[in-house]
Amino acid sequence: MFSHFFKKSKPRSLGVSKTKRRYDLPLEKGAGGLFLKLLIGMMSILAVLALAASFVLSAMTERWTSGLENRASIEIPAQDQNGKLLSTTEVEALVKEVEQFLKKHPAVLDIQVMSKEEITSLVSPWLGEDMTYDQIPLPGLISLRFREDVIFKPESLQVPLKNIAPQIRLDTHQAWLSQLLRFTGSLNFAALIVTFTIGITTIIAVAGAVQARMAIYHEELELLHLMGAGDRYISSQLQRYMFLTAFQGAIIGALIGGILLLLMGWISGKMDITLLPDFSLSAVQIISLCALPLLVGMLAMFTARYTVIQTLSKMP
Amino acid sequence: MIKLEHVGLRYGVGPEILSDVNFQLDPGSFHFLSGPSGAGKTSLMSLLYLGRRPTRGLLTMFGQNIGELNRQQISKLRQRIGVVFQDFRLLNHMSAFDNIALPLRINGESEKEIKANVEELMEWVGLGDHRYMLPNTMSGGQQQRVAIARAVITRPRLLLADEPTGNLDDEIGLRLMNLFDQLNRMGTTVVIATHNVALMEQFGYNRLILQDGAVRLMEPKKSIKQRLEGIF
Ligand SMILES: Nc1ncnc2c1ncn2[C@@H]1O[C@H](COP(=O)(O)OP(=O)(O)OP(=O)(O)O)[C@@H](O)[C@H]1O
Ligand SMILES: [Mg+2]
Repeated sequence: MFSHFFKKSKPRSLGVSKTKRRYDLPLEKGAGGLFLKLLIGMMSILAVLALAASFVLSAMTERWTSGLENRASIEIPAQDQNGKLLSTTEVEALVKEVEQFLKKHPAVLDIQVMSKEEITSLVSPWLGEDMTYDQIPLPGLISLRFREDVIFKPESLQVPLKNIAPQIRLDTHQAWLSQLLRFTGSLNFAALIVTFTIGITTIIAVAGAVQARMAIYHEELELLHLMGAGDRYISSQLQRYMFLTAFQGAIIGALIGGILLLLMGWISGKMDITLLPDFSLSAVQIISLCALPLLVGMLAMFTARYTVIQTLSKMP
Repeated sequence: MIKLEHVGLRYGVGPEILSDVNFQLDPGSFHFLSGPSGAGKTSLMSLLYLGRRPTRGLLTMFGQNIGELNRQQISKLRQRIGVVFQDFRLLNHMSAFDNIALPLRINGESEKEIKANVEELMEWVGLGDHRYMLPNTMSGGQQQRVAIARAVITRPRLLLADEPTGNLDDEIGLRLMNLFDQLNRMGTTVVIATHNVALMEQFGYNRLILQDGAVRLMEPKKSIKQRLEGIF
């Protein structure tokens, strides 16, 4: 009836909202969302780098330790304890004796006695090719592998070997392995701490943002509350908003982090650092890096939910 | 429907705005709430729409003692109450349409249902051409109509309107009073706070008069027409 008057007039564009309504609160207004997105983006770059560092460390440890586990080597020097040189036959006799002992040992899987030729080729870089090795007594070298299914400390071979001849040396690689593991372990721990700190920072940032928004839009919130909107109705909107904000920020951050990783991989490839293993990541690791934005989003979502419910519970 | 027994209300440590309010409203009744400015009409309304709890006394609504309900139960009760606030309280970032649709969305209605209902009501209150306008670009009267439409869109069991016709010209004011009247006929309990004596006389409903912190009930004066009929 009253609309008669206005029927002919063109719809005004000023003050008209044609955009689809997404939230009951004006969440998309203001720069707060952008700041949060930026912050979460940066955090995600750090998280990607920390995660990748931890992956690379694991790969390194893996490479260095594989092939060393369950192995030991025994050196029978061509000198007795008092520094007296032994003849080649004496050394060979000792090698035989040790071999016999090891063969009977239940934890030993197999034994490899290095031949004279192998030993010569090992020492030739130091002593020269044209050396006549018959003149110098060569030590005996035995490498052995232990059975994996028998619980056994390789160090326990020490005593019976000493009994055969006190100068015999057992090298189980344990000493330097355990040092290496301690080193990479502490690096890994540092990466874990970094990741953890990033998570906490994200939680604090999101909780702060949610609280600020709830304070700014207190009137709107109260209205929704008075209309009978339950805590879940209200919190689901803030949850969705925070999830999307954090997710978008984290995707951008993860992409930048990924590009940085590729760059680092490329540079280290150029430098030919052989100590580092391949910078390539396994499928599982790539998936977990891709899942990072999702994880960050979920973290933001649950933080928002908790904060909103806490704040709403103070309303009458 | 509503029962207040020795209800008192004070803000913080201030004086008691309501000191001993006792009255009972039957389901399907229609009451005006009047009284001088500052008497506490808006405050009393806020108790009835469960925006505040009485500082003392017993408030019973929909047969339930409000003091014994949990948050979720209170939310459910609020969904059955439509409120026209004296200051409208529209959400300025969303269109008139979305403002009116809000209670339906909170109640979980389908978008199709919402569109049909809201458009029909907007047409009816004369806002058919202003669907997508933002409230803060509308006139006071238009905003008031949005607020009223938002309050009645769910066909609430209880309608509370605080000065709902203050900004409206007589014709549209009457039209909206008729809307309240129709809702009342369909079973909604209505309470309207107003200063408008002419309006109260025109619609001869019972009046609750709020003065000095207490409420007394006044039977409607006979309208002029009825009085004239009595003489002749
Ligand atoms: N939120 C509040 N905090 C403190 N005091 C308040 C608050 N709201 C209202 N008051 C006080 O309560 C008293 C009653 O106010 P109220 O708004 O209920 O009156 P009213 O009858 O609705 O007046 P009007 O007819 O002008 O709308 C006033 O003295 C006012 O100052
Ligand atoms: Mg008032």
